[in-house]
Order: sequence, then structure tokens, then C-alpha cells
Amino acid sequence: VTKSPYAELLAVLSRHRGVVGSFVVSERDGISIDSNVQIGVHADAVAALAASLHRKARLACGAAGCGQVTFLRLDAERGGICAAGRDDLVLVTISEARANIGLLRVEMMRAAKALT
Amino acid sequence: MADEIRRLSDDLARDPSSLVFMPLADALRRAGQLDLALRVALRGLDRHPYVADAHDILARIHADRGDLERAGDEWEMALRLDPSHEQASLGLGFVDFRRGNLELAERRLAAAGDGDPGVATALAHVRSALAARGVGGAVPQSTFAVPEVIAEPAPVAMPNGDHAASLAPDVPSAATVTSSPVTEYPTPDPSRARQLFAPVLDGADQTAVLVDADGLVVAGRYIDVNGTDVSDVVAAELAGVSSEAERAMRHLGLGAWTSLLVEADQSVVAMTPAPLGSLVVVATSRQTPVGLVRLLLDRALTRARDWLARVS
Repeated sequence: VTKSPYAELLAVLSRHRGVVGSFVVSERDGISIDSNVQIGVHADAVAALAASLHRKARLACGAAGCGQVTFLRLDAERGGICAAGRDDLVLVTISEARANIGLLRVEMMRAAKALT
Repeated sequence: MADEIRRLSDDLARDPSSLVFMPLADALRRAGQLDLALRVALRGLDRHPYVADAHDILARIHADRGDLERAGDEWEMALRLDPSHEQASLGLGFVDFRRGNLELAERRLAAAGDGDPGVATALAHVRSALAARGVGGAVPQSTFAVPEVIAEPAPVAMPNGDHAASLAPDVPSAATVTSSPVTEYPTPDPSRARQLFAPVLDGADQTAVLVDADGLVVAGRYIDVNGTDVSDVVAAELAGVSSEAERAMRHLGLGAWTSLLVEADQSVVAMTPAPLGSLVVVATSRQTPVGLVRLLLDRALTRARDWLARVS
């Protein structure tokens, strides 16, 4: 079995406190390229929705002249989704409320720069 | 108290659309957990923007936090929804008193009637302060505080007709009499809707807009970094964000979505669901700390919610 080039990166993100899954997904078609998720997480559906949200945010930011989207965070009552993109690839993490979002944000923005 | 909070939290978790958020928010307020109480009350008001008692509880939370301006706004909203709401009259009398508007406080409390013992007590305090000012020129301090005014716990009417969880009489301690301008919400005048968020934004690099579920601008404006109004384009691009966020959270079982924050090269854009399926969007320059953007978003949401309750 050959590991994808993102396996190590996703494993590192998934070791963060409160992170229950991480993906690399194509923004264009919402297909998950690689993932590291806990059992029970609807990986494909969430990856597609996260990619769609990222695309909407990118288009809205383009319309508003805000420049490129560097980080996106969707908060909910018991957790949330973070996304950081580069070109067509989006790095996505799913986290519970106990996650350290500040730390995760820094790690994801650094990792997104290396996405190719 | 902890048991009561736990029980009410469980009740709310079982039925998030119920009115249990009111006694829960008030119990949290009385326990001193003001940030949590504020969040519970605001979330509840998103679902029930027309319940006068809920605005009264939010006003008390603001008062406990020392934010008399917002407390006054909420009590005014409670009175608009229910002109006979004595606790709101009492609260506004308290705000007037703290601002040094003794005559206005006296008129307001007198108009509320003296059927409520709390109102009668407060009225006596205000008249005493007025008399003292007439004699000595100085307003006595610490004579009128909400704790003395809300003498009787006000029961919260629950949907099933029961009276659950009482509202405690403790609010802020009386302190110095201050005078500050009262925030005026724009009247439901379409020509003023564009200025809805002006009072809650702190600088020229901040902008806010209220967008409906179809991607149409309801109020406010979105000015880009070049000073151009791009409200309509941004609103259209954001159409459907709410539904997609909801779907994502449903798949994950993480509860209702509360905010979406987007960092871009030149701006930080934050949005949150508002009543009637609308969306409040706040944008700031990249120099604004992300944490501050979230506070601005909360302020804009409060304003949008109050305004929508008036115009809808």
C-alpha cells in the first residue's frame, strides 16, 4: 500500500486535541483526496460541504476585493470545521469544542502553504 | 444553583426551541456566569425574538455587565413588545436614574403604576432623590438599584402554562450617576436601513450588511477596500451559506452553526445566522484582531435582531 503525500500531514493534524478528522479535498469537485478520520465521521459528505463553503467564501472574497482566502472557520455549538486552501486543494479539519483553535490555525496555515 | 442550572441545561438540550433558555440564562446570570448567560439569552432570542420576558432577561444580563446602554435598548424592546411590562418600566427607570435623568425616571415609574411593590419602592427612591437634589443640590448615591426595585421574583410563563424558575431580584449595585447618550435605533425607514450598523462599528475599515436567505441585502452596506459599495454582489455570493453550514453541522452532529469566519489577504469577514433566515456579515481590515471581529459580529447581530423585530 502506497501512502499519499498528505498522509503524514493529516496524521499530525489529527493528533491535535479535539480534532476528530482531517482531509485534503479538491475545491472544484468536492472529492476527498486523502483523509484521516475517526470512525463515525461522514468523511465524504463533510469534505464536499467544506469544499463548497470554501468555494463560496473565495468567490465572495473575490467579489469584495478581499484577496485570497487564507483560513476559514465554521463554529457550531459543540465544535466546528477549519479550512485552509491553496490553489484547488483545501485542507480541512473537524474539531470538537475542546480543540485549541489558535494552535490548529497556525498549523493548518503553515501546512496549506506546502500543499501541491 | 448548580443543580438548577444543570436541570435547565438538560431541558434546553432536549428541546432547543423551548423557552427554557429564559430561566437558564437568568440562573446563569445570578450565578455570575455572565458570558455564558449572554450567549444563552442571545441564542434563545434568535429563535424567540418577540418574547418580552426574554428581552427583559437580556437587559438584566447587560446591566450586570455594566452596559447600561444595551440594557436600556433591551428594556425598550420589551416595552415595545408588551407595553404593560412592569419589569421593563422598572429597568428603564433604573437606567434613567443611573444617567441622572431623575425627572424622566420619575415620569416613567409613575406611568408604570404603583400596583407592583417594586415599582412603588423605586418611585419612592426617585422622589426622595429629587427632593434631596432640590434641597441640597446633590443626588444621593446608592438609593436606587434594581435589587431594591425588583422586589418580587417575576415568574417566567412557560409554554405549558406553568410558572418555571423565577427571576431573581439581584442586578447591579447602584453606583455613580452618569450621563451618556442613548443609542437610537434607526426607525423602520428604508432610506435609513443602510446605516443600521454604523453605531456598532468602530472604524472606517469596518463594514456590515444584513443579507436575507435569498442573497438580497436587507440593511447595512458592504464597502470594499477601494471604498466601493459591493453589497449586492457579496450578498448574492453568500446566498446559501446558511443552508450549507447547517448541512455540514448536521452530518457532524456538532449542533447549530454559530459563526463563519473567513480570513483573506486584505480582510477578515465574519458572518452569523440572524432571525428570519438572514445572515449578518461583518468585514474588517486584516489589521483588526480576529477576536475583535467576533465581538463586532455579536454587536451587529444584537442590532440586527432588534431592528428585524421592529420592521418585520
